[in-house]
Amino acid sequence: MKQRDFLIVGGGVVGMAVAYGLARAGQGVTVLDESDDALRASRGNAGLVWVQGKGVGMPRYAELSLESAKAWADFAGELTERTGIELEYEQRGGVDLCLDAEEARSRQADYAELQNASRYMAANFRWEYLDREALTSCLPGLGETIPGGTWSPHDGQCNPLYLLRALYAASRALGVETRPATPVERLEATAGGFRATTPQGQFTAERVILAAGLGARQLASGLGLTAAVRPVRGQVLVTERRPPGGRLPTPQIRQTASGGYLIGDTHEDAGLDKGVTLAMMQSLAEKAVRIYPDLEAARLVRSWGALRVMTPDGHPLYETSTTHPGAYNLNCHSGITLAAFHAEGLAEAIRDDRLEQSFPHFSGARLHVSAS
Amino acid sequence: MFQRLDTAATPTRHVQVWLDGEPHRVAETLTVAAAVLQLRGWQGYRRHVDGTPRAPLCMMGVCQECLITIDGCANRQGCLEPVAEGMRIERQGGDIHDG
Amino acid sequence: MMAESRNADIAIVGAGPAGMAAAVTLADAGYRPTVFDMNAAPGGQIYRQLHAPQASDAVMGKDYRRGRELLDAFLQADIDHRPGSRVWWADNDASGTALGVLARGQTQRWQARQLILAGGAMERGWPFRGWQLPGVMNAGAAQILLKQGALVPSIPPVLAGSGPLLYLLAWQYLRAARPPALILDVAPARRYGEVLHQVHRAWLGRDYLLKGARLIGALKRAGVPIRQGITALEAEGDTAVERVRYRHKGRWHTQPSELLLTHFGVTPEPQLARSLGLEHVWHAGQQCFVPRRDATLAAGTNLWIAGDGGGIGGALNAEREGRLVALSLLENEQRTTAEQRREGQALLAARRRDLEARCLLERLFRLPESWLDDQSAETLVCRCESVSRGELDLAITQGGAGPNQLKAFTRCGMGPCQGRQCGESVTRLLAQRLGGTPDAVGYYHIRPPVHSITLGELAAREASRA
Repeated sequence: MKQRDFLIVGGGVVGMAVAYGLARAGQGVTVLDESDDALRASRGNAGLVWVQGKGVGMPRYAELSLESAKAWADFAGELTERTGIELEYEQRGGVDLCLDAEEARSRQADYAELQNASRYMAANFRWEYLDREALTSCLPGLGETIPGGTWSPHDGQCNPLYLLRALYAASRALGVETRPATPVERLEATAGGFRATTPQGQFTAERVILAAGLGARQLASGLGLTAAVRPVRGQVLVTERRPPGGRLPTPQIRQTASGGYLIGDTHEDAGLDKGVTLAMMQSLAEKAVRIYPDLEAARLVRSWGALRVMTPDGHPLYETSTTHPGAYNLNCHSGITLAAFHAEGLAEAIRDDRLEQSFPHFSGARLHVSAS
Repeated sequence: MFQRLDTAATPTRHVQVWLDGEPHRVAETLTVAAAVLQLRGWQGYRRHVDGTPRAPLCMMGVCQECLITIDGCANRQGCLEPVAEGMRIERQGGDIHDG
Repeated sequence: MMAESRNADIAIVGAGPAGMAAAVTLADAGYRPTVFDMNAAPGGQIYRQLHAPQASDAVMGKDYRRGRELLDAFLQADIDHRPGSRVWWADNDASGTALGVLARGQTQRWQARQLILAGGAMERGWPFRGWQLPGVMNAGAAQILLKQGALVPSIPPVLAGSGPLLYLLAWQYLRAARPPALILDVAPARRYGEVLHQVHRAWLGRDYLLKGARLIGALKRAGVPIRQGITALEAEGDTAVERVRYRHKGRWHTQPSELLLTHFGVTPEPQLARSLGLEHVWHAGQQCFVPRRDATLAAGTNLWIAGDGGGIGGALNAEREGRLVALSLLENEQRTTAEQRREGQALLAARRRDLEARCLLERLFRLPESWLDDQSAETLVCRCESVSRGELDLAITQGGAGPNQLKAFTRCGMGPCQGRQCGESVTRLLAQRLGGTPDAVGYYHIRPPVHSITLGELAAREASRA
């Protein structure tokens, strides 16, 4: 068999977006994925295509998020055209709620600082602080005790599960081989490329991309790549379907296209435990009812915990190995917003082997410097 | 529809419930879903989120097909809620609140 | 600020035969277990309403009445019985199991040092074209109506499927002078002969066989038509069932009817055990997943499963298992007498014989594993989210390689029933399409809430806020 151009380790939304981009550019790609019950950030996230709050402290990340959000409509349209799968994408703007006055103050300070630091953000990032009164037109029924929030027209939402499905369908139609239940136990360089050892046998390719989320902790260092990622648990509640509320999405709560409300935005260090806790579920339910009192009667149908993948500074990692040329490491916790970029600019940079040159801010070097 | 056998074994108190605005007397041993099946049958029980008509399947809290509005609260599991004197029951014919 | 936790030394979930027997045995030994039950009165499904029976003994038959002794013992014992309580959340930790309980519109947090799950069984979700139409009900549901209020169909129903309950319900309707219009049995007539050739099992299971023969004989004498060995079933109608179609001896037949009562066997109600992360294994004979239990029926540390929730054994076996787990718990506490240990041994031996005999029933009422494959592509698998077999097949070709991936891709199993009706169908379909055992394919992740709860009920904590 002809050696593939790329092995991608990880069949989540990051790995599949890059697989899709590479396949579209004519590359032969095999994706090695873990079993159905593995830790999966891609199946647990909230589905926001979101610019607000990204890259505070790292303007280049904010710029990348805004660029990707702007490219999302075309990206979604192309995937739907290829697969017939609707991603339920919409960009009608979004609101990041401030639950108290202090949050309102610090949020505005953060955004002002970001725009001071980046000319691109100053020119292109539109946002506004709206008090409760002003918010009620875009968040009808907003609870009395919510002081306000920041609104931005760039923010939107999609169905992240249908995004993942569309990436699978489109990639497979382009010849990408996806191998489920094929966890990589060992990765090593060979004379002509790389070899992955799995319980299902060995796979080889000229180049290898780690898009393994938390799996990077086991696999990265052997190829001279950064293994320092940690899980941050988020818990999410979903209600039964409700009548359309005409409410803009927020990171705290959004109504999905099917009608259910998705309630989340918790951050905990819980190791690899992706469970849900009664205390957190109750606090989420209280928060939801505080934001939209009419949800008191809504039945909860599902809940889950999922592990965000956090790099040491929280910003994306796009890394090329210096010790093992042809090995790359991709890790970030905003794989939905950045999916349009991952399928386009990032996949091209990897194909042309110019990741460090094109995206120097996101290389692993920044982490090693700060660690030493 | 379902009918009560006239040879019932234990004398049973009846309660008055309101179904879609009309008063009815039913055995107090019934759950809401059972009462509706006795009073109106399975036709018109509920309209599902996909627009299709649905009615109770399991009567034991598993299938969620018996959702119904009880005392103003939508989407209660009719098969788990015992009837009570004065209870107001409304079938969810298809506006909002479909499960 | 969390509400304070209430403590239960021993918590039992479910007040059917297994839960009642466990509670009574423990109460006899001086404990006061806390029993959470969804229903308003104890008895479970099998002995529902037995404290004040609605239909007469002549209609119900003696198996129903048999629960009376256990029920009385339960009602008289000193037990913290909490009817109308839904255990919607559970989590193991070092000190036992924490339970989220919804009672009278409020969430209570309980901490149980020892836990007995006795949640029983549910009727198997078994898709066929039109099964979502009003007028299709589970036979068990119809029997619940009979127990709850002596309710019988106002028109003669068609009964279809496989399993003893089908004939029992038909017989009960016959005794109520409301015989069914037609019985459609998936089990071919020759199976009845085949099981008799398993001489040892047939002897052990003679009670089951005689009971079945008696029911079928009575129905036949009354002139109820029975078609054995049907190979397909469909319900048709516009807004409710109008016709039942079935294939018998290779030919399709149509029976006008507005009520189709189906039964395709029962499986353990899996949600609480699944949400606790307990290991499950595929039981080839019972054609379903069952939680893994050891010889003492323990499924974890200080955690037992008794009755049909641990594997289908019927009401008598459930009662036996309830006593067994209680004895096993007492043994752990070093509180058993020699007599109790002997009783335990005898119960275990009886259980072994009974389960061996039940293999006959499993063989007799075995469902075709290829059933789903033979359905038309538009047949709904997930009723809540209206996901058809054809849509699942498409998602499988697009890379949906496991139950959870398929759920993500199609919403199959995401609705309010939480996959109870479709879960094992999805496992079956994947096993068939991708080649693999049900064990290798696995099952949905089940997470709380395993019972319906509103955000208001979840947020409304009990008392004592700081």
